Amino acid sequence: MTGAGQGRVAALFLLPAMALMTGIFLVPLAGVAHQSVTNPAWTLDGYVELTTSKLFLRVLWTTFEISLSSSLATLLLAYPIAYHLAKQPPRRRALLMTLVMVPFWTSILVKSYAFTVILGQHGAVNSILAWSGLPTVKLLFNRVGVIIGMGHYLIPFMVFPILNSLLAQPPDLAKAARVMGAGKARIFWRVTLPLSMPGVMAGFLLSMILSLGFFVTPALLGGRKDMMMANLVDMYTRETLDWTMASAIAMILLMLSGVLIAALSRTGGGKGILGGAH
Amino acid sequence: MRGREPMAGEGRSLLSMAASGAAWFAYLFLLMPSLIVIPISFGERTAVEFPPPRFSLDLYHQYFFEDQWMAATALSLRVAMGATIISVVAGVLAAYALVRCEFPGKKLVGVILLSPILVPIIAVALGLYLYFNALNIRGSELSLILAHSVITAPFVIVTAMAGLRHIDANLEIAATVMGAGRWRTLSRVTLPLLKPAVVAGALFAFLLSFDEVVIAWFVAKTASPTLPVAMYSSIQWSGVSPVLAAISTLLTVLSVTICLIVAAVTGREKR
Repeated sequence: MTGAGQGRVAALFLLPAMALMTGIFLVPLAGVAHQSVTNPAWTLDGYVELTTSKLFLRVLWTTFEISLSSSLATLLLAYPIAYHLAKQPPRRRALLMTLVMVPFWTSILVKSYAFTVILGQHGAVNSILAWSGLPTVKLLFNRVGVIIGMGHYLIPFMVFPILNSLLAQPPDLAKAARVMGAGKARIFWRVTLPLSMPGVMAGFLLSMILSLGFFVTPALLGGRKDMMMANLVDMYTRETLDWTMASAIAMILLMLSGVLIAALSRTGGGKGILGGAH
Repeated sequence: MRGREPMAGEGRSLLSMAASGAAWFAYLFLLMPSLIVIPISFGERTAVEFPPPRFSLDLYHQYFFEDQWMAATALSLRVAMGATIISVVAGVLAAYALVRCEFPGKKLVGVILLSPILVPIIAVALGLYLYFNALNIRGSELSLILAHSVITAPFVIVTAMAGLRHIDANLEIAATVMGAGRWRTLSRVTLPLLKPAVVAGALFAFLLSFDEVVIAWFVAKTASPTLPVAMYSSIQWSGVSPVLAAISTLLTVLSVTICLIVAAVTGREKR
């Protein structure tokens, strides 16, 4: 194909997708930006009000706390999975990977419903505790419930970057360390773990990005104190009908994710997720 | 366990046992929510009990014979089909341009087309709420279809791009050399070879739209919600309503079926 011909074909083929993204994605997002500084004339009141709003500042802090703690909890479960997967022969690994993908393709409402059943006052966990004579614990409509629910959602996003960085390590490296007399624990702490850090960073950033915007899990598994930014946007949009405030919060959320996305694109492990290398 | 080279031949250390233990605990945690809804769905209408005291299909009967659930399901099906068609047509064409053509601004176009994946969905939902309100079409089926197309299209594009990269471009060049025009090459060589990726992208797009709740929560009418929105309201206002176990089981079956079809379609391709 000639250069000009290619350009014409590309323009024609990109037309429907670009029209869709412009008309139904970029313009509405620009609308949010516009609404955040309009009430009804041009104003920065929305943002000014947010900096002094106790509710907003509390929700912002809660969002950080929940995102950080659920990403950490996710890491604790995702790393062993990735490590385990990396050691399996390819066929078995492919099979186990489908287990990791199950939550990815399960409706968030199925998961939320299941967790209300599992974690509730008379749920599966508390029934087992009561049956074994232990005191029951409150796992639902509080921070614990939100972290469990979000961790479950985030695990696949953390497993794959870590797995990639584990599989990228040449097996000879561990062999060499063993030949030179290093024990298994030492090889793990001094070779495997440090070399997997880019994957851990990428997975952690990705899970922070996704956590910041969570809506369903905090609404269904959390209590009133676990409201996150997305829930506040919903409240201002549909209950208070204050679209300027709702838009200002959404803009702040967009900017926070933008910063994290920029950080993610700088880590090598993030490439696969952002559609780069592969 | 043949082929497990680096670690084989030595006794299992405490570390690797602890690691496998943690991994299996995590696998169980991942599966547990999908598994627990199944036995509950065969319980009774009155209360959520595990294990259910007696086997019954009451909850499935309730789901299939209550207008509210059927209307929501039908709406979700129509929206998901519409969004799938739009995002597959737009997505496959865009993927072809991004993989096979060179043009200025290619990188920017790629970023724009894939950005809905990483932009917080709540911002998109609010944007569409305000936008469709201004256009006076919020709550219409068309508005839901368009809104869902935006989030399903990037997944179709990623899948189709991966598929195109696996197709040997020399096959297309050979067809051109032998006298086939660009359109003939596309329709007779590229698209048939791309079929598994297109099928996979379409099925995932369908599932994604069918399960989507945040955008639908903002865009759909309160009186006629999609299935996930109806489930969301039901969990929020009436807690653990037993009929949700039956719906959840059916949704899980749908997800598993779609994943199996995708695995079969793309797996055949690789061999």
